[in-house]
Amino acid sequence: MTRPDGGFAGKVLRVDLSTGKTSTLDTREKYGALLGGTGLGYQVLWEEVPAGTGPFDPANKLVFATGALAGTSVPCSGRTAITTIFPSCWPKALVGSGHMGGQFAARLKYAGYDAVIVEGRSEKPVWLFIRDGRVELRDATHLWGCGIRRATLEISQEMGADCCVAAIGQAGENCAPLATVVNSLSHSAGGVGGVMGAKNLKAIGVQGSGGVRIAGDKGQWERLVKFHLSILGANNQHVVPAFPSPESEYYSPGSRWVGEPGKRWGAARPPVEITGSIHDMSRIAYRTNSAAYFLGEQAWKHTVRGNGCTSCPIRCHTTLKVPAMATKYGVSEIAQGTCIALNFGRFFFPQQPGGPKGQSALEACMLGMNMADDLGIWSNYGQLQRDFIKLANDGVFKAKLGSAEYAAIPWDKWRAGDPAFLLDIIPRIGHRQGELGHVLGQGSGGPFEHWGIREEVWTADRATTYWKMGHPKHHANEDDGQCGVIINTQYNRDAQCHSHTNFVRNGLPLAEQKRLAGELWGSPDSVDAPGHYTRMNPHKARRAKWALIRKELHDCLGLCNWMGPWVASPLKERGYRGDNSLESRFFSLATGQKLDREALDLAGERVFTLHRALTIRDMATADMRGAHDHVPGWVYEDPKGAQPFSQGTIRMDRADMALAMDMFYELMGWDKATGAPTAQAYARLGLADVGRELKARRLLPGGDAA
Amino acid sequence: MIPEARDVLADMAAQAVRSASRELRLVTRDEVLEEVCAILADIAPEGEAHATAAPPVAPLPETAAGLEGLAALDRQELSALLGAVLAAHPGLAVLQGVSGQTLHHAPDLLSRTYARILDRKGSPLLLVAGEIRANSRDYPRPVPVELFKRPPFDLTPEDIAQALAAMAASPEYQDIGSVTTGTGAVHLFSTRHLERGYALFLAQRSESLEMNP
Repeated sequence: MTRPDGGFAGKVLRVDLSTGKTSTLDTREKYGALLGGTGLGYQVLWEEVPAGTGPFDPANKLVFATGALAGTSVPCSGRTAITTIFPSCWPKALVGSGHMGGQFAARLKYAGYDAVIVEGRSEKPVWLFIRDGRVELRDATHLWGCGIRRATLEISQEMGADCCVAAIGQAGENCAPLATVVNSLSHSAGGVGGVMGAKNLKAIGVQGSGGVRIAGDKGQWERLVKFHLSILGANNQHVVPAFPSPESEYYSPGSRWVGEPGKRWGAARPPVEITGSIHDMSRIAYRTNSAAYFLGEQAWKHTVRGNGCTSCPIRCHTTLKVPAMATKYGVSEIAQGTCIALNFGRFFFPQQPGGPKGQSALEACMLGMNMADDLGIWSNYGQLQRDFIKLANDGVFKAKLGSAEYAAIPWDKWRAGDPAFLLDIIPRIGHRQGELGHVLGQGSGGPFEHWGIREEVWTADRATTYWKMGHPKHHANEDDGQCGVIINTQYNRDAQCHSHTNFVRNGLPLAEQKRLAGELWGSPDSVDAPGHYTRMNPHKARRAKWALIRKELHDCLGLCNWMGPWVASPLKERGYRGDNSLESRFFSLATGQKLDREALDLAGERVFTLHRALTIRDMATADMRGAHDHVPGWVYEDPKGAQPFSQGTIRMDRADMALAMDMFYELMGWDKATGAPTAQAYARLGLADVGRELKARRLLPGGDAA
Repeated sequence: MIPEARDVLADMAAQAVRSASRELRLVTRDEVLEEVCAILADIAPEGEAHATAAPPVAPLPETAAGLEGLAALDRQELSALLGAVLAAHPGLAVLQGVSGQTLHHAPDLLSRTYARILDRKGSPLLLVAGEIRANSRDYPRPVPVELFKRPPFDLTPEDIAQALAAMAASPEYQDIGSVTTGTGAVHLFSTRHLERGYALFLAQRSESLEMNP
């Protein structure tokens, strides 16, 4: 008989830095309805962090939370959500989460904990030692001022080789809103490092000797894991290779499945050549090479291996070795990263000699990864670099910085695209040196606040890709029309949602995508070709809701929404179908608590709605539509004046987007006028008490309506 | 003819086509027929030495009956039956080659797309035009000219330039157009399926994906 106590480690650790006291809570009893991850984090903030708390106040809490599937053999289950009052949210800090992969989530669960709630503030720098049931706050005075690598090394030497360390660098120590916490060399969570710094918490080192119990039948579990592996594509669940292959009917040059047989990891010793079937489940790791995707052919010869998270076969953090880095720049010749972190350095330059895939770009990427992941700087999804370029091009730095500070910056190197420029600029930001370092470390809100730049200047400029509240778009109308826009209105930071974009970028022909979309969301018209958008319809609203809730579910369960959901697959014999119920099947088997897809999605909706309630409470307004769910002006413009819905534009139509928001709110059971959940919506999701509290604060739609 | 003969021939044909597909080769019916005949010839009458070194394995009764049935057919009859078997086999696909020949492959080993590329490799003009049109129609998207320099196309810059020049001069290929992105990269598309402005948008978008992770 299945015991409903699997999946979760069972305990939540609470650490009060002010008193040094630690205690534990029962995960299922206290937080089971919210699943874990962000759900657990939102609940802690709802219950324990009063509205108006600032991100760096001791009263703010920092919740490192994994989920029921983290630490198991479920592919792509290495995620930890870190929820807090998010410091880069501007003009007022609101609830937000940073997310990291790596090995932290699994180690925490093996130590017996699903989450760590960090509260208060230590008088002196400390780091948190967790070894199974043994929890200690240890002195970190000697680590304060050190970069993340040094801190990680020292703690690892103290704890032992099998520990995992999540540490902040100097940016976090200096309470930069754009600061990360990093584990396993390159796995970072943005925006939360400064909160750790404010609490004088340098790091968490964790070591566990336990495991995660699977409640269901082990044979069924193994079969489901194998099935999941069979429907995996490459990074971002791109399900067709980038190259024509005899084993694939389709290919897409834009796919991240770049591991073509015959390519070589040239810097491995000895070099490794990719051979065999592209569908071989034991060779999935060869499909992805993030460096080759972003930097082109040259990256193959520098590739050492693919690195990644616990249980994840994708290995999207590509490890590169470029010997010139040591001789030219005095940094390690090895670095690893993916996506924005991999591009951290080169994104500072409007252009570089040799173009975006030249040697200078490669060196800039190497330098950026090395420095940002040591100082612990977050790029705010590349907004830091776009802000830098715009501020420089618009003459703001020249006008606002003191003449000595401005003159000390090697602008000639920047204009020349010389990677050595990064040796100057990145430490300024990490250490928050001078006015530039202080302002840029704050995020987009920094220039707005300190230099009096109107936010509208950014929202009108498409090149900034700025969206709202201090953050940029994250796969919006450029990828997915109205769905992308809706998704980008909902969070208090960049949306970080990939449910929708992983589908539209999966590489299948449009007819195949539409066929799958018809099965999944009720109509082929729920998906458009990029840049050939049709008017809003209810199926798009349904897909937007699905995308958001699936993202939130992944953040609760410890799954990676950069990889999932897995609703398309490379398998022709399955008609390229994936499995829309995969998450609930895993959850049910792991925990022993049987939830079908609809029931688990409802739990995800509960978590997503709690995020909405927290935002409403802390903004002290129910008018989300007017005060929160903003769309920047550039979305409604086209550089060439093309009309919305014409081919070749991502320009959206204001009336159509208003209709889109109406449809989305209605589908969520929210009030259309304000975009706020109604009392009925809260009650339907088991959040009646949340609804009651908001009613008491007159924060239900219609003021005090019940 | 006994039904077992047809079944045995289907197995032999599938084996021959699959073997060729593994080697990335398309095969004609005649080539398959040659292999079938060779196998039939190789099955010596009882008491004679076998051509292969492997010890003889007694075939199943239905296989033996099928082989006997096939041996009773003359080459023309065998060819006709093979044609029907190849066309009807659920695991095999048929491709009308640019040479006019009917070609066969196993799509699970050699996809239709890849087979089409292999078939056209001898004619850069048809290869390039066919791929451009298929991409514009199906995905839809223009394709970077650089695509044709890489496997399995493996065309030289001269081959590509000649093919594009020939297309420009031929009325049959007036649908093939090109757009140039801000980076100077040339992308090719077919006006049968994509408007120029949209093709440019898609080409620029394809380049921007790497800067929009």
